[in-house]
Amino acid sequence: MSARYGMVIDLDRCTGCGACMVACAAENNVPPAPPSATPRTGLTPMLVHKVSNGLEGSAQREVFIPVTCMQCERETPCVGVCPQQAVEVDKATGIVMQIPQRCLGCRYCMTACPYHARYFNWWDPKWPEGMEKTLNPGVSTRMRGVVEKCNLCHARLHGAMEKAAAAGKKEIDPTDYVPACVEACPTGAIVFGNLADRNDPASRAADSPDAFRLLARLGTEPKIHYKSRQAWVRALAERGTSRSSEAKHV
Amino acid sequence: MKVSRRDLLIGSAGVTAGIIFTPVPWKLLGDVSIWTQNFSWIPQLPRGPVEVKQSACTLCANGCGVRVRMAAGCPVGVAGVSGHPVSKGTLCPLTFAAHQLNWHPRRLREVRHRGRPASWSDAQAAFAKACGEGQVAIFDAQPERAASSVFAAFIQKHNGCYRPVLGPESQALAPYASWSGVPVNALGYDLENTRTIVSFGAPLLDGWGTPGRFTRLWSDRAAGASDPQLRLIQMESSFSRTAALAWRRVAVREGSDAALAAGVARVLLEEGLVAAQAPMPVLPLAEAAAQTGLSVEEIRSLVRTMVEKRPVLAIAAEESPSVAALNVLLGAVGTPGGIVAKKNHVPARVPAEAPKTSPRAVLIDASVPWEFDPQTDAEIFRFAAWDGGGGKADWLLPAPGFLEYLTDVPAPPTSGVDTYAIAVNLAASPPEIKSAAQFLQKIDSSMPEVDQLIRAHCEEIFHSHQGAVYGEQPLPVSTIESAQKIEEQLRKGAVWVGNPSRPGNLRCVLKDWPAERTLPRPTNWAAAWPVPVLPPIATKLYQESNLREAPAGRQA
Repeated sequence: MSARYGMVIDLDRCTGCGACMVACAAENNVPPAPPSATPRTGLTPMLVHKVSNGLEGSAQREVFIPVTCMQCERETPCVGVCPQQAVEVDKATGIVMQIPQRCLGCRYCMTACPYHARYFNWWDPKWPEGMEKTLNPGVSTRMRGVVEKCNLCHARLHGAMEKAAAAGKKEIDPTDYVPACVEACPTGAIVFGNLADRNDPASRAADSPDAFRLLARLGTEPKIHYKSRQAWVRALAERGTSRSSEAKHV
Repeated sequence: MKVSRRDLLIGSAGVTAGIIFTPVPWKLLGDVSIWTQNFSWIPQLPRGPVEVKQSACTLCANGCGVRVRMAAGCPVGVAGVSGHPVSKGTLCPLTFAAHQLNWHPRRLREVRHRGRPASWSDAQAAFAKACGEGQVAIFDAQPERAASSVFAAFIQKHNGCYRPVLGPESQALAPYASWSGVPVNALGYDLENTRTIVSFGAPLLDGWGTPGRFTRLWSDRAAGASDPQLRLIQMESSFSRTAALAWRRVAVREGSDAALAAGVARVLLEEGLVAAQAPMPVLPLAEAAAQTGLSVEEIRSLVRTMVEKRPVLAIAAEESPSVAALNVLLGAVGTPGGIVAKKNHVPARVPAEAPKTSPRAVLIDASVPWEFDPQTDAEIFRFAAWDGGGGKADWLLPAPGFLEYLTDVPAPPTSGVDTYAIAVNLAASPPEIKSAAQFLQKIDSSMPEVDQLIRAHCEEIFHSHQGAVYGEQPLPVSTIESAQKIEEQLRKGAVWVGNPSRPGNLRCVLKDWPAERTLPRPTNWAAAWPVPVLPPIATKLYQESNLREAPAGRQA
C-alpha cells in the first residue's frame, strides 16, 4: 500500500453545525473539558472557525472553515522539531502520526505548526462515573502532558486493514476507511480519499479550479484541501488561522 | 588478575556506553511509557465482542436512522445510516455522543417525591388514587407511537384527556390542520419538489425538522451556486446560520413576520402573480413596509424574485396563520412542492382531547421537553431520563434513556410521506427504570403491551400492501410474505415508507386573512435538543471553541 490520504472540504457546503467536532471527539475518546477549559486550552482535533467577509447589510457573508491537522507532505514542520521522534509521517499512507507514548510535552510542535492544529493535553482524561463504558475500544486514551492532533482516525484504517487481511486481500476497500468527521458531515462537504489515485473522487476534487490549500506559500503541501466558488473565501487561504481569534457567535 | 579501581571505572564507562547501543534503554523507555498509560485513574477501555446494529434515534420525534457500534453489549459509537430514507445518513451534531447520555451525572435512577427518594409502588398508589378522585391528563410529545395508544386506552377507561405537545415544526402546520380538518400529524412538507423556499425565520440549516433532509437537499441543489436549483430566501432579523448561507437574505424587524406575509400577499394579488383566490389582507402595503423595516419597492422586488421559480413554499418557524395563508395564496397546499397530507386523510391514531374539567393529576411522558410547563395545580407525575433541574413535578419518575427501550417511530412531523420504524432496546436499562406505558400497565393490567401494538401496526402495513420496506434492499410490501417478516426487518433497523401523497388530497379554504399574535421564537441552538442535558463532549462546540454560544439552561 502506498497511499496519500487527504480531504477536500467544500466550504460552500459547510453549515458550521459542529457534527464533525462532536463525532471526532466521540470516535477518538477525547475527554470532556473541565470547567476551566477555554478555546485556547481545549482539545479540538477538528475545529470549525467562523469567518466573515467583513461587510455589513445584504453584502455580509460568512463561511465556516473546519481546520484539522493539514497532514503536510513536505518539510512537515512538526516532525523536524520533535526531540522525541514522537511525530512521524507514515510512508505508506502519508498520515502524520502523533505517538503520545513518546511525547514529553515540550510543545515545540505546537509552536512549529502554522495551522494551530495541535493541542496540549492539560488535564487527565476523565469521564463521569460509568461513562468509560462508552469509550471507543479501538482508541486508547491519552495522558495529561502530551500533544494531540488529528491522525485521520487511524484506528479506522487499522480496522479496514484487518478486515482486508481477514479476507486475504492486500488492499483495503476504500469504503471501509472513512474518518468520523467525514461520516458525520450532514451536507457531504468533506470528501476523503487517496490523493495519489487520480481516479479517487477526493483527488479529482483537489484538482478542481476552485480548490486551494491554506498557506500554500509555505510549501508544506498539506493534504487537506479546501474548495469554494466564492473569491473572497479563496483569498482567505493565505491569511492562515488563529485559534484564539474571536469569532462572532451565531 | 588484579582489578584496579581504574579498570573498574573504564569497565563501567564501557558498559554504560555499550548499553546505549542495545535495545535495553529504549525498551525500558517504552515500558515506562506504557506503564504511565495504565495508572489506576486512567479510564480503561471496554473489552468484548464488537458488533454494529441499526436502529432509530428516539430522542426526538424525527426518528433518524442510527448505526450503533456495540462493545460487550454497550453502545460505544453512534453514526448515521447511509441511504436511510428518513434521515439520509445524517444526524444532529449532539447525537454522535448520545450514547454517553445514559451515564450522564444527571441521569435519574430513582423515584423522587417532592425531591425525596420514594418507590414505584408509592408513585403507582398515588396515581391510582388520583385516577379514582378525578380526571387525569396525559401529555405526549411524540404522538402516534404504540405508547401513545397505551395512553389513549388508559384515558378512555379512566376518564382522562390526552394532550399532544407539539414542537415548533408541528405548530407551523397547525393552521392547515384547522382549515382542512386533516390532523397535524398527517401533514408535512414536500420539500423535494419545491424550487423556492421562503423561510420566515425557520432555522432550516440549523436543526429544523429531520436534520439530514433539508441540509442534504440544500447541499445538492443550492450550496454555493449563484443561480441554484433550489432557492432559499431567508427573512430574519438576525444573521443566523441559515441567513448566512441562504441564496437571499432579507433583514426584517423582529416579530414582523405577519406584516411581511400580509405585504407579500397584497403584492401577489395586486400584480396578479397568483392564480389562487384569497381575501386581500387588511394591512396596507405601506404599513407592512413600515412594520418590517423594508421599503414598498423592496417588498415588490422580493415578491417578483419569489415567484420566478415555482413551486414556491413558505415555511414559518412556529405557528403563523399569516404564513400559512400565504401558502394557500401561492397554491402551495395539496400540490407537489407544497404542504401535503402524508397519510392520505387517515386520521391520527390518537385524537387530541380538550380537558373537560381541571385535571386531578397530570402525567407527562419522557418525550415532552423538560421546559414544558403544563400550567396546572394538579399533582404532576413527570417521567424523565435526566433531571434538567428546576422542575416543579411532584413525582419525578426515572424513564429509559437512549436506546434503552422498545418503541416504534412514526413519521417525523415535517415528513411529506408516511414512514414507520422500530427502535429496539439495544442498551440494558437499569432495573429501577420504567416507561410511562409500563407504569400505566402496572396500574391497569388490561392496558395493551407496546410489543403487541407494534405487531398490530406491522399487520396493518402488511394488509395495506402499500409502500416499501427499506432495509439492505428496498422491498415493496406487496412482495413480503408476512407481517412477521416486516416486523423482523423493522426490528433490524429497516424503515417502512408509504406511498407518496396524492396531489389534491389536501384543501384549505380561507375566508378572511388571519389575524396573528407574535410568539417568542427560540433563539438558542440547544433549544432544538430535546434532552435537558448535553453530552459532556458538547463543550467542544462552545466552551472549547467559539463555534456556538453557550446553551442556556442545559448542562454538559
